[in-house]
Amino acid sequence: MTTYTSEHIQFSGPRVTRRRFIQTASASGTAIGALSFREQMAVQAEELRKQGRSMILLWMSGGPSQLETFDPKPNHKNSGDTKAISTSVPGIQIAHDWPNMAQVMNDVAVIRSMTNKEGNHQRATYQMHTGYVPTGSVKHPSFGSLIAQQLANQEADLPSVVSIGRTVGAGFLGVNYEPFVVDRPGEMPQNISIPDGQRRLERRLNLLQNLEGSFGSQGAEQAVQGHQQLYSKAAKFVFSNDTQCFDLADEPQQLRDQYGDSAFGRGCLLARRLIERGVTFVEVQKNGWDTHDTVFERVSELASEVDVASAALITDLKNRGLLDRTLVVWAGEFGRTPQVNARGGRDHFPRAFNCWLAGGGVRGGQTIGSTTEDGSAVKDRPVTVPDLLQSISHSLKIDSAHENMSPQGRPLKVVDGGEVVQELFS
Amino acid sequence: MRNRMNTFFVCAVTSAAIFFPAFQLDIAFAADASPDVSQTASEIDRLLNQQFDKDGITPTRPVGDEDFLRRARLDLLGTLSPPSETTKFVLSPAENKRTELIDKLLAEPAFGELWASYWSDVIFMRATEQRSQIGRPIFQQWMTTQLNNNRPWSEITHELLTATGNVRESGQTALFFAHASVPEEIASEVPRIFLGIQLNCANCHDHPTDPWKREQFHELAAYFTRTTFRIDNSGTERTFNIGSLNAAAARLGNRPEPRTLLFRLDRNRDGAISKDEARGQIANRFDDLLKTFDKNKDSKLNTEELTAALAQAVMQPGRGTAEHYMPDLKNPSSKGTLIEPAFFVEGAEGPSLPHGMDDLARRQAVSQFVTSKSNPWFAKAFVNRIWSELLGQGFTMPIDDMGETKGTIHPEVLDLLAGQFAETNYDIKWLFRTIMNTQAYQRQLAPASSNLSEHPFAAAKPTRLRGDQVYLSLQSAVGNFGTPGRFLRRENQAALLPAVAFRQKAAFTGTFGFDPSTPQDELAGSIPQALYLMNSTSLNARIQAEGRTNLGILLRNNRDNKAALDELYLTTLTRYPSADEQKINLSYIKATGDRNEAFEDILWALLNSTEFLSKR
Repeated sequence: MTTYTSEHIQFSGPRVTRRRFIQTASASGTAIGALSFREQMAVQAEELRKQGRSMILLWMSGGPSQLETFDPKPNHKNSGDTKAISTSVPGIQIAHDWPNMAQVMNDVAVIRSMTNKEGNHQRATYQMHTGYVPTGSVKHPSFGSLIAQQLANQEADLPSVVSIGRTVGAGFLGVNYEPFVVDRPGEMPQNISIPDGQRRLERRLNLLQNLEGSFGSQGAEQAVQGHQQLYSKAAKFVFSNDTQCFDLADEPQQLRDQYGDSAFGRGCLLARRLIERGVTFVEVQKNGWDTHDTVFERVSELASEVDVASAALITDLKNRGLLDRTLVVWAGEFGRTPQVNARGGRDHFPRAFNCWLAGGGVRGGQTIGSTTEDGSAVKDRPVTVPDLLQSISHSLKIDSAHENMSPQGRPLKVVDGGEVVQELFS
Repeated sequence: MRNRMNTFFVCAVTSAAIFFPAFQLDIAFAADASPDVSQTASEIDRLLNQQFDKDGITPTRPVGDEDFLRRARLDLLGTLSPPSETTKFVLSPAENKRTELIDKLLAEPAFGELWASYWSDVIFMRATEQRSQIGRPIFQQWMTTQLNNNRPWSEITHELLTATGNVRESGQTALFFAHASVPEEIASEVPRIFLGIQLNCANCHDHPTDPWKREQFHELAAYFTRTTFRIDNSGTERTFNIGSLNAAAARLGNRPEPRTLLFRLDRNRDGAISKDEARGQIANRFDDLLKTFDKNKDSKLNTEELTAALAQAVMQPGRGTAEHYMPDLKNPSSKGTLIEPAFFVEGAEGPSLPHGMDDLARRQAVSQFVTSKSNPWFAKAFVNRIWSELLGQGFTMPIDDMGETKGTIHPEVLDLLAGQFAETNYDIKWLFRTIMNTQAYQRQLAPASSNLSEHPFAAAKPTRLRGDQVYLSLQSAVGNFGTPGRFLRRENQAALLPAVAFRQKAAFTGTFGFDPSTPQDELAGSIPQALYLMNSTSLNARIQAEGRTNLGILLRNNRDNKAALDELYLTTLTRYPSADEQKINLSYIKATGDRNEAFEDILWALLNSTEFLSKR
């Protein structure tokens, strides 16, 4: 019920245009046809509830060390140089490189008992993104695309899935849900600015449309139709004022400073701007977590960007009233060995690692599960990848049992197995 | 040439038949007489026409010369013909000019290059080992040679299945590299690529629709269980090796006890293995192992350090195992059931293996099964794939899921063509030649008003060009347009180092490429593709009317707008504009008021058109 109310408020907020309201209303109208008024209300409530839900994935590529992030072991020799610090939540300590995250811990739920089997970067990244291990025969859709399939407004100007950095694609869900990749946050994406101005492009598009007729009438009607749809979508995108959101210059300097002068900071700020404009799923990547050597120095450096930006993102979303409908997830493909190796690094360790969630109805200020004293195993409340994805589905109110047909005709659930981690929401 | 030789033989046979009993001739000529291209092509058309008659439909007429030229060039070379060549071809009075064109194009080196990149996509677009993308250049180089030398498909397959060596040096290692030699992945891809069968469904349970059992999938995987995939950091560039689990490691079940290993290798009995003492896999990776595991920094590995090293090795895929075990799904941590290699296709002939055979014996055996003429799937899968690529639709869809129970369109044509392809000993160019000489290949698109598109092969289907075909067509049309931001100043493609040219194309096909095993109906363009053609500065620089661009030269050589339009259409679409198109364009030029600007817009529209991106 709380969700409903907050959505309702959001709905009348400045960012939701009248056009979108009409679309929502008419979309529900056509879909519900002959239903009674009460049923109609129920369906509309459902629509409204879903409307605007979105997710930001902060992806720590390479596998972040749990001991140097949110599961420090200050009293064990495995901790090496890492100290623990207190947070705004009494009783929760995190590693010393994360002072800003410590301040927003009230809004964050840390899962310390993630457990998995894949210790290979590609396989684990694929699995964490799709819920399935890679096979040559099926390209599974990434979770962002699956979310967009259920939540995205297909009429929006901006693509429904955006990734800042290359990521796992939409697989067999196809181009409508393919992530739009931004390589350099803060700059306009490639080929989005029009070389000779909007008027000229409009003229060219007009000419193109006039010339397409002949091929269309010669037996390529469907191909021409598909092509025109794509071009009108692309044109809508480049002509849209929303593309301005890729340029961060109109954000106050003070806010930009809060996110930090780094690619990841700009990525997080861009993510917020995209979510605000109705994008369903944004992934922001930070590379470099594969710390086989000098793990302490390297994590300090990584955290100096990620700590600042992640905390700023949570605060900013909260200040704008967006946090309730935006789920933020911080994760990497696996954790790292609790024992420090000869090169002062830690190696791949999928058996016990951590991640955190904030917003999207998640109750902050808690830790879920724990690892043993030395960090070598999950002590209680193991959480698997499907469990995590079920929880994300729950937060976003998407149907995780929905089945998509693979090209081989095999039905594949949005999430196969797993259970919602209820503690996150209670 | 071969074609004519065959015709000659046929004549000789006919005249000789007067003097000799027929059966003797069969024996005398069966060995090297490939089925005749034109005879097979007509037989295919006869079979198809029979069905069309039954259905009461009339297939579309043959395409005009311009369309045929464009189709054949895109299919065999990926490029567009220059206007002069188009005109020459259209005006040529030669009766068999289409057959001759096919032969001429098949002899060009670009044929091997185009189809090598096709096969590169087939293999690498499904890669489960992402680092394998570095294997593409060498694979394409190797595959280009095989195709241009017209090596039989069976021999190419054999090489791909039995490859070992450095992945940067041996293109044949592509398939194993793409899947880090993981037996279950290889056992999924081998039937898919070479037999058109999706056996991977049987990885975890019996195949839901086809007759294959779970054991049969694992019996196939057992052929690949001893193939290894190892990182090799010894040179300046990191690389990987596809190899075989050595016999000693295999005897130990590939889980050597640290103590046993130490006892075996530690010759000076100081309780640790030094670099001199190391043998086998440990020797290959000794420096790496030291870096990670030599805790006491004595440049040797003691029992404790060796234990840690071996424990980590077990975590890595691609290490190979002596024997294949089918996992017990109810008890995943147990060892599972020992499975001996066996081939799943009933009636296929090949060697049976005694227990414990080494890697190459296993892979050679499976290669014999796969490529055996007693295994009809091998020829069918290849024929279906090439037919589908050329005609836009296969006999089964998707092409790599032909299964026993899947519906096949015109099975009699597939059987005929596959049978004869096998008879030629899997002669790849013969197959291209034969298919492209059929009426079926040379038909027009279905007119919008007809329902011919519902009858497979009664009309041509407009198909989406693959990424490299788009790239090469753009180059044909506007010259070397480079890639965004990089290599922009390089004007001359030929002067580019092959590696740079490769990267330039790879960057483009990264946006425009797709998995070529995907049915055409499931393909659609993407936003980044549209944005690239619409707005990219590098392409835009090549459509300027000022300066030394193709368009600039064209406009200066053709002062008359109609002539310039003709030339522009020939360059981009390999045809003249229709009367309608001429009208639209001329009035556009008039309305724009600036000739250069108007022609830039027209060229832009042509490059962004559905037709430019399609085979018509």
